[in-house]
Amino acid sequence: MKYSLFFVLSCLISITAFGNKGIVRGSVIDEDGLPLMSAIVVVKGTTIGTTTDLDGEFTLSVETGTHNLQITCIGYQPLSIEGVNVTEDEVNVLKDLQLKPMSNELEEAVVKAKAVRTNEGALIAMKRRSSTIMDGISSAQMQLVGDGSAIEASKRVTGVSIEDGKYIYVRGLGDRYTKTTLNGIQIPGLDPDKNSLQMDIFPTNLIDNIIASKNFSADLPADFTGGLVNIETKDFPEKKIFKVSLNTAYNPQMNLNSDYLTYEGGGTDFLGIDDGTRALPDGADAQNIPTPISGASKDQVKSFVSSFNPNLSANRATSPLDYGASLTIGNQLQLKGEKKNKLGYIFSLSYKRDYTFYEDVTYSEYQRYKESTKNELRYATIQKGQQGEDMALVGVLGGLAYKTKKSKIRLNVLRLQSGTSKAGIFDIDNDGQAVGQSGYIAKSHNLEYNERSLTNLLLAGDHSIGDGKWKVDWKLSPTWSSSDDPDIRKTAFTYSNLDTSFVAGAGGNPSRIWRYLDEVNMSGKLDVTRDYKLWDRDAKFKVGASHIYKQRDYEILFFDIQFFGNQSWSNPDPSEVLNPENIYPSTTNNIYYQSGNLLLNPNAYSANVNNTAFYVSNEMSPFPKLKTVLGVRAENNVQRYTGSDQAYASGDTVNGTYLDNEKVLDALDFFPSVNLIYAVTDNQNIRFTYGRTIARPSFKELSFAQIIDPLTNRIFNGSLFKYPGWDGKLTETRINNFDLRWEYFMKRSELISVSAFYKTFDQAIELVRIPTQQTSTEFQARNVGDGKVYGLEFEVRKEMGFVSPFLSKLLVMGNLTLVKSQIQMTDLEFNARKNYEKDGENITNTRDMAGQSPYVINAGISYNDPEIGLNTGVFYNVKGRTLYIVGAGLFPDVYTEPFHSVNFSVNKSFGKDRRTSIDLKVENLLNDRLEKFYQAYKADAQIFDSFNPGMTFSLGVSHTFK
Amino acid sequence: MKMRISSNFLKSSLVLAASIALFSCNKKDDNNNTGTTPVVTSDIVIVSSNISANTTWSSDKIYQLAGRITVLDGATLTIEPGTIIKGEAGTGANATALLIARGGKLMAEGSETKPIIFTSVADEISIADVAAGSFKSPNLNNTINGLWGGVLICGKAKISASANEVQIEGIPTSDQNGLYGGSNDADNSGTLKYISIRHGGANIGSGNEINGLTLAGVGSATVIENIEIVANQDDGIEFFGGKVSVKNVLVMNNGDDAIDTDQSWSGTLDNFVIITPGDHCFELDGPEGSYSAGHTIKNGTIVAHNSDRTSGDLINTDKNSIVNLENLFFASVKDGQVVNRTTDNPDVNFTNIVINIPSGSIDDYIKDGSAPAGITAGSTSSNKANASVFNGWTFAALDGATSGL
Repeated sequence: MKYSLFFVLSCLISITAFGNKGIVRGSVIDEDGLPLMSAIVVVKGTTIGTTTDLDGEFTLSVETGTHNLQITCIGYQPLSIEGVNVTEDEVNVLKDLQLKPMSNELEEAVVKAKAVRTNEGALIAMKRRSSTIMDGISSAQMQLVGDGSAIEASKRVTGVSIEDGKYIYVRGLGDRYTKTTLNGIQIPGLDPDKNSLQMDIFPTNLIDNIIASKNFSADLPADFTGGLVNIETKDFPEKKIFKVSLNTAYNPQMNLNSDYLTYEGGGTDFLGIDDGTRALPDGADAQNIPTPISGASKDQVKSFVSSFNPNLSANRATSPLDYGASLTIGNQLQLKGEKKNKLGYIFSLSYKRDYTFYEDVTYSEYQRYKESTKNELRYATIQKGQQGEDMALVGVLGGLAYKTKKSKIRLNVLRLQSGTSKAGIFDIDNDGQAVGQSGYIAKSHNLEYNERSLTNLLLAGDHSIGDGKWKVDWKLSPTWSSSDDPDIRKTAFTYSNLDTSFVAGAGGNPSRIWRYLDEVNMSGKLDVTRDYKLWDRDAKFKVGASHIYKQRDYEILFFDIQFFGNQSWSNPDPSEVLNPENIYPSTTNNIYYQSGNLLLNPNAYSANVNNTAFYVSNEMSPFPKLKTVLGVRAENNVQRYTGSDQAYASGDTVNGTYLDNEKVLDALDFFPSVNLIYAVTDNQNIRFTYGRTIARPSFKELSFAQIIDPLTNRIFNGSLFKYPGWDGKLTETRINNFDLRWEYFMKRSELISVSAFYKTFDQAIELVRIPTQQTSTEFQARNVGDGKVYGLEFEVRKEMGFVSPFLSKLLVMGNLTLVKSQIQMTDLEFNARKNYEKDGENITNTRDMAGQSPYVINAGISYNDPEIGLNTGVFYNVKGRTLYIVGAGLFPDVYTEPFHSVNFSVNKSFGKDRRTSIDLKVENLLNDRLEKFYQAYKADAQIFDSFNPGMTFSLGVSHTFK
Repeated sequence: MKMRISSNFLKSSLVLAASIALFSCNKKDDNNNTGTTPVVTSDIVIVSSNISANTTWSSDKIYQLAGRITVLDGATLTIEPGTIIKGEAGTGANATALLIARGGKLMAEGSETKPIIFTSVADEISIADVAAGSFKSPNLNNTINGLWGGVLICGKAKISASANEVQIEGIPTSDQNGLYGGSNDADNSGTLKYISIRHGGANIGSGNEINGLTLAGVGSATVIENIEIVANQDDGIEFFGGKVSVKNVLVMNNGDDAIDTDQSWSGTLDNFVIITPGDHCFELDGPEGSYSAGHTIKNGTIVAHNSDRTSGDLINTDKNSIVNLENLFFASVKDGQVVNRTTDNPDVNFTNIVINIPSGSIDDYIKDGSAPAGITAGSTSSNKANASVFNGWTFAALDGATSGL
């Protein structure tokens, strides 16, 4: 590391000066959109020339003025680019210059330099010729359209939908079946329990492309089903980047609202880091904490209780506007010397502060009546209130890359740090008549903080060997991430008509939770590609291997307040609960903290995964118009767990379970993939693909952890726990995927396609309400039965020029997916449902699959005029009603209601060279609510949770410095 | 030109410096969670494993519950008269309790002179104290609660719930020993006599805590009499279905309801005293499933209010409660406390219920403002508990709490 740094620095110093010349940079691609190496590029009428490197890229230093270039390569038709205007100290970029294979006529192809600039060639060519069904967006496209962040850009990728404003999903399948990679490497996101990486932190000018692969091929990881989204960062920016952006956002409900809720945090909250304000008090994780009954002195108890942050109250304040800023720099330099090696660097620093306030949040639990005549649902708990969130995010991305003609090495660094502070006040109404409920009225103050960080390093090399027919790519990438929830506080007074106090059996005693999660992820990958001729046609043989090691440590610590004797509250205010006069020893209340933590904590675990993969694949054309890619991938995946259940932790070593780095998953799987692409015409394909993929349980799922959400009191149970009808053995879901697709490519990015797909799921994993627990709301991930999914997908991207030339800059895009899914119920579930069957209801042993929406619509219209620097568009996205939690019996199913997301954006750039741009966005134009509902036969749907995100207006300004 | 290069260099250096600075942010140190065994003195037996074979606890030892101890299916735990059992401190998953699983048996027959005492490790009561006939805690007063869990009995009798067997509240769902319910109404979970359960009720999550004595699906062959619950954080006794009958019960200063019934318990509670629970004196619910049955509660004296503590409702019944309430005397009541019932439920019957109202008329102490037949006002009543059965051996009586009742 130190050595290479020194090397880079010494190279930087020896850079040649350019003088009175300008620079022409470009890239050359073949008919498949792949980089063409060793093509010869010359400036016509001069002796200036060069050859392209392994990325198909070239750089020429040319006298100022207008020049013509010529590109030649053996086996390809020569290409002339006319009217290349070179100005002093400027970089003139000619991207994706496509050479066509040599035909009988030895005619030279000619393009105008101006036309090259709006070319979207590479990605389109790649899409057309790709061995998998893919879609994406390139840097050229993003530049044209003026998208600010990766999330904006990915809206334009067909079949991709965005959730939470930062996660992207493919084809409407949930997180379990989608995967995000960065530079081809799987890295855990800031939310370690999600497969997806949050995308809103990547500035587009550092992204080379975003590609969504919608079906499997052997060189991809096998654990995705809906789609794999890869973000590739730039290594050699074509020209100097030095851009500063500022933005702000206003949501009438959330910003400048004097009802906003917050709580006193620490001095470094604005950096997304807790300064220790929320740290666990010294000694609190000991086996015996000082209590009136632990043998500690009164002073020890008092000082221990006082060492907890006394603030238990959410406070009203006025929320500021959201704001953010980013700085992006990047460039490439040609190093001194004959070989003209290149050095590229990128750096970005971004900062965001978002304020969220939900004026009316509802969480509730409903039950079904036992009587077969009573269809309606009845409530167990309704919790209504308000919740404020303050999120700070700092992102740093840096990259250094070094390239010779035939080799490239790069080092990327990504660091994300975020902190979210939440404060809420809720009214809780629990109905004692509902099953398992005690009945109470309470008002709670909830304070939470979530601190996350992610550090990722990537060291990667691409090498072209020999005659360029061999390619070797390797990647090494460690990631360290953490997600901690220090000092989650819940303080709920229970109200009765005679007094107000803390009632353990009702609203509960005030409690605090600390959660710690640390994860390390080490990935290594090697791919070798050999281009060769088979049956006189191009063929490609690929072989590769990868290893991923992931390790997670998790721990939850819990404390609650106890009263040594009677309670008395003349002023039931959470802000006064921990006043000194209430702390033991005192005349009233006598507060002390009791520990919920066993010495061997059943809510702590350590787990790891070793995943080793090999693959071979061969791409060949048995007939001129038929390309086949056959491959097989082997993955050996072993997951191990260290931790104990509660019985063992509380001392029962006979009947309890303790797993000491024992295997909880161990499988060697082979994942064949078949891709047949029949080119009906030059721009029409029929594709058939088959692939076998897998969905594996997560660390969180395969655990003995019981994770309570103090806000809703909903409890997630690790799947290692056994229940009646559940053996505690959560296993992988194996999936067969069949796709048949017709696609028609028109000019530029236009496309029409129709696909039919069929998938079978062996032992699908779903989140299930635990039927035997009636008092608390508890869930567990289980293998629920075999499932199948079939559907149709329509995709269109069309410029409206065919209607009228006036509309040629209007692009309409959309995709519609219609899906039918079915799960074969287990007997347990079927019987539970039968037991609560209503008159007229006819329960069969199949139902919808959880997480699979019956339809997905993505649609957008954009108007883009690069001449005047204007881009504007409206995008619509909706997923049909989707089963979220599997109920059965007393508990109704929970469904996610469609959220009709309509967003508008306009971007206009100004000034000479359009260096300044302004963008305006309006999100959630329809003002829709985010809701999940309990649903049952002939019953009115009742809220599971409900938020109103409101409409957000945001404004951004950016300037690119010369 | 040179300037430009050096400014690039500067930027690159900043990149690295900034990145390094950010990487170095530290996290919390790892905890070292390796176990140590508590010290065992000759008098104290630490119980940390479930009981899977027949076991006897004798009065010359103090049995300290280190966790949630379960008497498993097929095993019998016999506790000799005069034995002290102490639960270690804890809350949540850490709460200690004695659980009798379905098929397990508890034979705990104390006597008036040798009661069996369940309390907290914080209670300094000793073997010598009990042997000498001193059954009060020397150091904990009768309001201190939540120091440990409680006693739970799960049986195989019928319950009226969403399924034939469900998980008992107070035991985490992940522990299958907490399942109860079945079809054997005559199930036998053992014998409990002269038992005092004190200072318990630790919770495992809000709305999910441990009652003093939880009787879940307990069958009619089980014998339960002469039971005292003092200062439990949750309910005194909670019945979840089952057919067991219980007599001679005293519940004092518990945090939630004194007597709580659910899921069509079909036994009888006879002769009891209730003193200032934190919430309702009676919380009486009906069936939750298709099976339907009722219970009888008779011969009781209730103190719903004193200078330190005030309870919630005097009686709380629902639309589907099925209960006969007979011979109850509410000896001390505060203005605002009511009988909270629905008028459209013919399955709740009141007989000889007398309320010692401090002011106004009897209708002021009924939720809807009109007293049903069987409830009257009065400062005395002969139809009440025989409190003398608690004398001599209960914490409450020894503290004078039952005098005059």
